[in-house]
Amino acid sequence: MSSKQFNRRGFFERAADGIGGAALATLALEEFLPAADLPVAPSIQPATGGPRRGYDTLPRDTHHSAKAKAVIQLFMNGGPSQVDLFEPKPLLDRRHGEDYFNEIAEDISSPQAAGGLLRSPFKFKQHGECGAWVSDALPHLHEVVDDLAFIKSMYNNHPNHEPALFKIHSGRLLPGRPSIGAWVSYGLGSVNQNLPAYVVLDDPRGLPVNTVQSWQNGFLPPVYQGTRVRSEGAPILNLNAENPYPEGVTSLQRDLLRKIDRLHLKRRPNQLQLDARINSYELAARMQLEAADVLDINQETKETLEMYGVGNKDTDSYAKRCLMARRMVERGVRYVQIFMSGQPWDSHNGLEGSIRSAAGQTDQPVAALVKDLKQRGLLDDVLVVWGGEFGRLPIAQMKDKKNYASAGRDHGPRGFTLWMAGGGVKPGVSFGGTDEVGYAAQDNPVSIADWHATILHLLGLHHHELHFERNGLKERLTDTFKPRVVQEVLA
Amino acid sequence: MCGDNKMRKTGLCALVFLIVNVVAHAADNPTYEKDIAPIFQKKCISCHNASNQKGELDLSTPFGLFKGGESQSTLVSGDLDASYLYELVHSRFMPPDGEGEPLSDVEVHTIESWIKNKTPFADGTDPASFIAASEVNQHDIQPIMLLRCTVCHGNRRQEGGLDLRTKASMLQGGKSGPAIVLGKPEESLVIKRMATEQMPPRDKLLPSGVKVMPDNEVEMLKRWIELGGPEVKVAPDIATASGDPLVSEEDRQHWSFRKPVRPALPVTKMGDAYNALDTFVIQKQQEAGLAMSVEASRAVLIRRVYFDLTGLPPSLEQVEAFVNDTSPAAYEEMVERVLALPAYGERWARYWLDAAGYADSEGKRSADPIRKSAWRYRDYVIRAFSKDLPYSEFLRQQIAGDELLDYSNPEKITQQHVDNLVATGFLRMAPDGTGSDVVNSVAERMEVVADEIDIFSSTVLGLTMKCARCHSHKYDPIPQRDYYRLMAVFQGAYDVHDWLKPTAVPSQSNGVMKNRTLSFATPESLAEISQYNNQQQVRIDAENARLQKLEVSLQQTHLAKGLALLPEVIREDVKLTFTTAGKAHTEIQRYLHGKFKEMLVLSEKQLEADKAYAALKKEVDDSVKVLNDGKRAVPTIRALWDRGEPSPTYIYVRGDHTQSGRLVGPGVPSVLTDGKTPFQPVSLEHSMAGTGRRLALANWLVNENHPLTARVMVNRIWANHFGRGIVSSVDNFGKLGSLPSHPELLDWLALEFVESGWSMKHMHRLMLLSRTYRQVSSLSEKLIIEDPENVLLTRMPLRRLSAEEVRDSIISVAGMLEQSRFGEPDAVNVRKDGLVTAIAKDGAYRRSVYLRQRRKEMPSWLETFDLPQMNPACQIRSTSNVAQQALYLLNSEMVRELAGQFAKRIMSQTRELPVQVEKMYLDVYSRRPLQEEVELSVEALMQLKTQWEEHNNSLPQNERENVDLELKALTIYGHTLLNSAGFLYVD
Repeated sequence: MSSKQFNRRGFFERAADGIGGAALATLALEEFLPAADLPVAPSIQPATGGPRRGYDTLPRDTHHSAKAKAVIQLFMNGGPSQVDLFEPKPLLDRRHGEDYFNEIAEDISSPQAAGGLLRSPFKFKQHGECGAWVSDALPHLHEVVDDLAFIKSMYNNHPNHEPALFKIHSGRLLPGRPSIGAWVSYGLGSVNQNLPAYVVLDDPRGLPVNTVQSWQNGFLPPVYQGTRVRSEGAPILNLNAENPYPEGVTSLQRDLLRKIDRLHLKRRPNQLQLDARINSYELAARMQLEAADVLDINQETKETLEMYGVGNKDTDSYAKRCLMARRMVERGVRYVQIFMSGQPWDSHNGLEGSIRSAAGQTDQPVAALVKDLKQRGLLDDVLVVWGGEFGRLPIAQMKDKKNYASAGRDHGPRGFTLWMAGGGVKPGVSFGGTDEVGYAAQDNPVSIADWHATILHLLGLHHHELHFERNGLKERLTDTFKPRVVQEVLA
Repeated sequence: MCGDNKMRKTGLCALVFLIVNVVAHAADNPTYEKDIAPIFQKKCISCHNASNQKGELDLSTPFGLFKGGESQSTLVSGDLDASYLYELVHSRFMPPDGEGEPLSDVEVHTIESWIKNKTPFADGTDPASFIAASEVNQHDIQPIMLLRCTVCHGNRRQEGGLDLRTKASMLQGGKSGPAIVLGKPEESLVIKRMATEQMPPRDKLLPSGVKVMPDNEVEMLKRWIELGGPEVKVAPDIATASGDPLVSEEDRQHWSFRKPVRPALPVTKMGDAYNALDTFVIQKQQEAGLAMSVEASRAVLIRRVYFDLTGLPPSLEQVEAFVNDTSPAAYEEMVERVLALPAYGERWARYWLDAAGYADSEGKRSADPIRKSAWRYRDYVIRAFSKDLPYSEFLRQQIAGDELLDYSNPEKITQQHVDNLVATGFLRMAPDGTGSDVVNSVAERMEVVADEIDIFSSTVLGLTMKCARCHSHKYDPIPQRDYYRLMAVFQGAYDVHDWLKPTAVPSQSNGVMKNRTLSFATPESLAEISQYNNQQQVRIDAENARLQKLEVSLQQTHLAKGLALLPEVIREDVKLTFTTAGKAHTEIQRYLHGKFKEMLVLSEKQLEADKAYAALKKEVDDSVKVLNDGKRAVPTIRALWDRGEPSPTYIYVRGDHTQSGRLVGPGVPSVLTDGKTPFQPVSLEHSMAGTGRRLALANWLVNENHPLTARVMVNRIWANHFGRGIVSSVDNFGKLGSLPSHPELLDWLALEFVESGWSMKHMHRLMLLSRTYRQVSSLSEKLIIEDPENVLLTRMPLRRLSAEEVRDSIISVAGMLEQSRFGEPDAVNVRKDGLVTAIAKDGAYRRSVYLRQRRKEMPSWLETFDLPQMNPACQIRSTSNVAQQALYLLNSEMVRELAGQFAKRIMSQTRELPVQVEKMYLDVYSRRPLQEEVELSVEALMQLKTQWEEHNNSLPQNERENVDLELKALTIYGHTLLNSAGFLYVD
């Protein structure tokens, strides 16, 4: 992180609250923006250790040394099809159209639309030095497979989106529990107080299924809820007033508030919470500056913009959010989630078109993000996670049971693929796999709890240690499950 | 018992040796009842009984004896060598050394000959029946039938006339004959119908929430039928006079499990103590060489008391009156006045609503449907606090309101009947997805029950029982059995096999599951409703009459015109026809009417072609619709009531509802009793349906000797006044909770609470009138070091306003607080960017407690200031300090508008700057400004005005606002005060 990344012109213009712009910049950098690799001060609080007196997002110590300092989660709503993207299943070609109903009957939610086995319309090839299988639906991803670790034996526990989403975001099939991002910001806080610790970049076109419940704080204090940062319009709720006061008035108001608060504080020495509160107002002022700055992707070079696909109709929206995510983790934001509107990967019909459309919006920006992080030396510290809530069935789903050309696939919770990259992940690995038709995880099944534990592990947190006391119970992201960190994908 | 093979072999060698040498004078022809049971009773059952089954062996019944323990066959009739039990007692391996008296040779020999004689019973029972029953009996079958069949073939419905709950009812069968043929599973209808997949009917699976019986259960059912349907008598596990082997006397010694004892008041320098409570505080302080801080000023005290009791700041007049009141009793009188304010109930109800998990929606699903009448429970709680309903009654009504008075056959429905039922809403607050989906499984219902047990135990008992759902509590002496005993208490009303859905959706529930709202109201309120609706009808009729009047006049004109066209000879006859009512028509008139109707009477369509008519019709229709919508319906109550026929309660092994263990009966946690007193459900009046179990629970809770009820509640009240409980873990008084900082004080308060008739206001008075409460909040360096956490109460804590206080106070200071109380929650507006705000009525807002609390749409302002999500409830709120709070107060449009209202209100009183400053200070900080502050403020106001002016002048002529610059400046000034620490923190 360097001061160059600030938009200096805007910065000086707006830094009119009494402290000189340059002084503020220094203050911001030294006091509130320790770079991720600054030594950890001994006074830093541990991630967990008894109830806290107050809740904040100040940085906290890890349980063990961390490989990843930040996470970018590329959430692929709807359930991307494992057998059309990452797992070639020759048997599906050979037995295309054959009846397979009885073998998977308990997972067929709409029997009247169930056809026979459905071959993939995509061509598979091995890519990179690692020889990872990726279909031609994701041509850009081919270029970065040597940086990725695929887990091909994931499974979820429910065939419906809602519960499956709650499960993958918060560990149980029900709403009301904290999402993984909330747990991480509770556990680790953030090195940058000028930006929220946990940011959600949602799709300007609309919210995902389960809406804001996907990034809830559950029983954790609300301060750990994901903050929606909009890539268009006002970025954060109340970051700026809808009808702002004139510049001079705002500055007078800040000045007046500071004076009144100082008088109040002077008569109340030793009350640390008052200092903290005054700080929170100063942080708010800085957040106004930095949020605008972090979202200003015009500071990027033309090459970078093109690499992500900014300006290209299909990729523009997702590309912008990927770029903003990179700019955020650079500034110390701990957990960034990128969501898409609705469920683009929910390919119930027109399989090929549906997948090409979802891939067309995301493939180039995603690959660019991995490349960009790598070329900036950030991939070592940033964990990138790609995937949806479940996979899809090997059989066709279609109305008339005849037209395989327009068929899709129904939800398949028993087996799907996710990938991870950077932040301590072993590059170029493929772990686990589904059965011969791609129906259920067969080799080394990985549960959602295992996967959560693995992400926490990379961040230096132990899934059992990271807890929150409630009603005398220690609540955990992985609840009472007994997860296993997937060592096979760790570097 | 040791199941180790090696040990067993060694034992056998010893056995052979000993048999040869045995010398015995045992009873001839021993029988179980006469000879064997007494031996076990004397030597074995202290470790091997129904509740304490060491090695999973229960020797208290013949069934348990033949069933055996973890080493399986304990006893083989007639085969001494195969009878492991004999080997163990004979080798004196059991009872283990030091754990009871060994068996005598005579006793061993008696057992030996009993086994050799093929284990006879005095009453002639065939021992084989126990062996069969130990393999499978009705308690293995019944849970399966409950899970898979009885929703259609049980107590509520008997499809095909069939009830599958018991062996007798299965034998009796239904229209198609007996369901089971003993000994012949393949001929039993229940098996046949399942084999052919006729049952359960596939189209009823989803709506009934039933799953097909898995193979292992079918096999068990078949085997049971094959064996002739063995039954054993197993009494449900309840507390008995023989004592509780699972919870020891030592377990009962934890401080909070012993009943409180009234301590003597410590002797202190009474000068510092205003009341008894202070003496305990001072004593502890003196022990630590510390003392109370000085007393706070009147201005500080009145602000503290108002916020503490009402959540709102005192008005300027109230502050002035109190500060200038020279009476020695001024403070006491002020506290008394504030306690009587309606706002007190609204503030203190909120603490209880948090603990109860109050929400206006169901939760558990993304859809999060609205709970229509949950607000009545909120109103009940507010009223209860306002009128100082004794806590004992408050609890009894909430826990067993349906069993207190007979609401089903009342002579006259009184307000008390209604309140009692509304109060049971306490047990209906948990998130509940069982009404949100087509499927509503036993597992989901169990989640609801478990959440309620959590809420009940944390809130009322201050204990965490959650763990005991799956296994005995690791730290507190709460066996898994006690969890299910408590579940049995609720089972009359909360039966996972006889479920009431949150809302009735006929197509989803197959008509099986009814819903949980009652239409129930007093004659007075029904009369009021009907009177109101009649008035409404009068208005409707008046509206309709307006239209009718116009129609009549139009028809008259039309008729006159038409008649003029007719031949004169018939004109009068026709006219008479069309001005006479149809009923009175003669035959000729009927003919005429038919012939000329089309010509002389305007159709509706023709009428509407008339512009005036069409306009009036629209106006009338609209207003009639509004009036009709305004008619009141009979209010419903979201209640919990006992239906009197609970299904049996089994312990769920590892919390898994498909794995039923031991049968248990109702009971309370053993550690809170002597373990020997059976739990006695209250026998209700004959006309009442309930089991009386919850009423017994409620009565037990409010017993004056109860170790927890009073302590937990006074501690909650204390924590809310002093920022920290005497037991700082307010919801955990168990072994993992914190120890009380002032145990004697806690007991003194608890007993005072009971003796005062459980008066919560009495507790407030005691605490607020104490010297302890009146201390300043300033923090010296000495205190930071010597009492950093304020455990010794050496000062009052500085505290940030809660979410509701921040919002309500700003609204109140702005003069925009609408005073109306109670009723349906105020709707919120959910903006696309996620902002959830209240919808103002004429610019005004009600208090936050009346704002709709939908789990997925919590009001943003409140959430930003730490309003918790209710999943299922919140025992104590957390406080955070983040930039988003500053951003909210600085930039939110609503806060800015309110600041504008605030400024307008002050401006309308005076235009003099120093006076404006003074008034604003009194409103916001409850004190007058210091000279220094007045100067600072006046200067700022002038600068602000200049800035606005400059800004306005810098705009092009046509964009300049014609504004009151002084008002603009005062708005910014007021907005700043509302952002200041002095406002947001209470000293």
